Amino acid sequence: MTIDPKRRFDPYALTWRMPIIVWQVLFFIGPLVFMIAMTFFLVKNYRMHEAFEMKNWIKMLGRGFFWDSYFLTLGLATLSTLCATIIAFPAAYALSFKVSANIRRWAIFFLIIPFFTSYLVRTFSWYVILAESGPINAMLAYIGLGPYTMLNTKFGTMVGYMTLTLPLVVILQTVSLASIDRSLIEAAHNLGCGRVRTVFTVIVPLAKTGLIIAAVFCFILSFGDFVAPYYLGGSKPPTLPIMIIDTTKSGQQWPRAAVVAVMMMVTLFTVAFAAIMVAYRKKT
Amino acid sequence: MSDPLVVFENVVKRFGEFVAVEKMNLDIQQGEFLALMGPSGCGKTTTLRMLAGLEQPSEGEIRLAGQVMNDVKPHERDTPLVWQSLALFPFLNARENVEFGLKMRGLDAASRKAKALNWLDRLGLADFAERPVDQLSGGQRQRVALARALVTEPQILLLDEPLSALDAHLVIRMQGELTKLQRELGITFVYVTHSQSEAFAMADRVVIMGDGVIAQTGAAREIYRAPANRFVAEFVGRNNILAGKVTSQVKTAATIETPAGKFKVNIPKARSFSRGDRLSFAISADLVHLSDKNPRGDNVVPCTLISEEFVGSVITLFLESADGTEFKAQIQERELADIDLKSGSTLYLSWPAASAHVLED
Repeated sequence: MTIDPKRRFDPYALTWRMPIIVWQVLFFIGPLVFMIAMTFFLVKNYRMHEAFEMKNWIKMLGRGFFWDSYFLTLGLATLSTLCATIIAFPAAYALSFKVSANIRRWAIFFLIIPFFTSYLVRTFSWYVILAESGPINAMLAYIGLGPYTMLNTKFGTMVGYMTLTLPLVVILQTVSLASIDRSLIEAAHNLGCGRVRTVFTVIVPLAKTGLIIAAVFCFILSFGDFVAPYYLGGSKPPTLPIMIIDTTKSGQQWPRAAVVAVMMMVTLFTVAFAAIMVAYRKKT
Repeated sequence: MSDPLVVFENVVKRFGEFVAVEKMNLDIQQGEFLALMGPSGCGKTTTLRMLAGLEQPSEGEIRLAGQVMNDVKPHERDTPLVWQSLALFPFLNARENVEFGLKMRGLDAASRKAKALNWLDRLGLADFAERPVDQLSGGQRQRVALARALVTEPQILLLDEPLSALDAHLVIRMQGELTKLQRELGITFVYVTHSQSEAFAMADRVVIMGDGVIAQTGAAREIYRAPANRFVAEFVGRNNILAGKVTSQVKTAATIETPAGKFKVNIPKARSFSRGDRLSFAISADLVHLSDKNPRGDNVVPCTLISEEFVGSVITLFLESADGTEFKAQIQERELADIDLKSGSTLYLSWPAASAHVLED
């Protein structure tokens, strides 16, 4: 009888694997299972009771305001992903192909610096900049325009999302573009492909995986962000993260908030999985 | 002879302080198979890339079919290049790779496909047209790269060490196929390589480059038998290079005194030397005669054997004379049957004066 070496019990390998398994079970799977269970609990007199009822699901998913918020959040996150991808690409392109490796290293270093300061603080600085009496409107007034309301609008939300996601998207896109084999770009030129056309026919397909991964990160961060839509977007109509806060604050409805959270997780899983499938799809 | 297809006129290419190509003057004829050969960093690839427009000359002029090409963008030229890495697009299959150049020229899908399939078929890849390129073997990928470059029916094809990634037996086969293809198409091939065997096997004319300068231009035989200077003699083939002072000269026959001994050489008509001038000359390793008895006469060097290199029918022997000068001798294996190599006794190298080729400096 032969023993498959892969299935033989190996205490040494297991010892090194254990910490990450324990960590994931304790702090990811555990809370997730509890959250799913909580969606079936009931709240009476501001107290949660263990139960197994569909009430929370029916209450949340049966109402128009949940779905309005759901599609609003989905739309905003999608728009944010598109904006970030399109705004970041020229910057990543320039960093990958137009500057020296030394400048690229510095640029990536400076793109990491925003993460040193709290995202909340950076958002509040936008609060000042975008205000009706803020510097942007002052400049626009100087050339006879405005004032424009930028706070408490979807534009404000978008500015917040970009603050959160752009540095990361630029970094991820740059890493993926910089790893492209230059001779492929030269080969495209050599075969009669102009500069702009080469970007779309050769560079984008070559960097596809990295560009999609960057977009997925942008979508995940925007979809779950509470700060931008709350402080810069004015929280009305609420996005799903705002709805979670509102639901827990009003009447201790933790189970209903859990329903929203589970719906968000399902959405993110679906989007991320589909995107990764597209990113790594190969022609057969 | 008709006008040359390509003219390099005083072309200089600098990268910052570094001069990659210096004052190059070269004509490439219509339908010629030209090999640019030299050690790495000699400027051969830069020359090729300038022809493709991937580098701009710092000075001078490059003309293609009479037109000055200096400011023509790479994508506006029809100078397809086959890369050392092949540079096939990994996200396209074999046929789509071949179609790429036609697509850029705005050809409709049906004629594109027909032409691409025709070329793949011609290069024996008919069954692999729809395969992703990463599922093809090295030789097949090579052919896809060739088809991709040739499908637009260019006047000239540029090749940058395209065979260097292939197995030795495949290299020989591809050499034959490339030569045949070039004859059939009648277009100009410019082939960059550091491999003497590739250049000599295929090219009508070989250009030897060193340090950004053309060291010699000529047919393979000519370069092999009559290397112009020391650089070419060292780079090409297995040459024994000796240098010394002229001690006497009677008409064209001169005697040269070198550390390894006194040797007779024939001075070419165009050159003249006086007593005491320094002169270097080369004797190809395959023109050297080896014996274990002193043959008496001119141009004999007693040597001891250092090592031998056996590759089949030919053996290369590495020897050393009493003063430490190294000699190489290429001998047919069967000729060595009655020579005792093992005992370490003295061996005698000899050659007729006519085999010694005088080098320019």
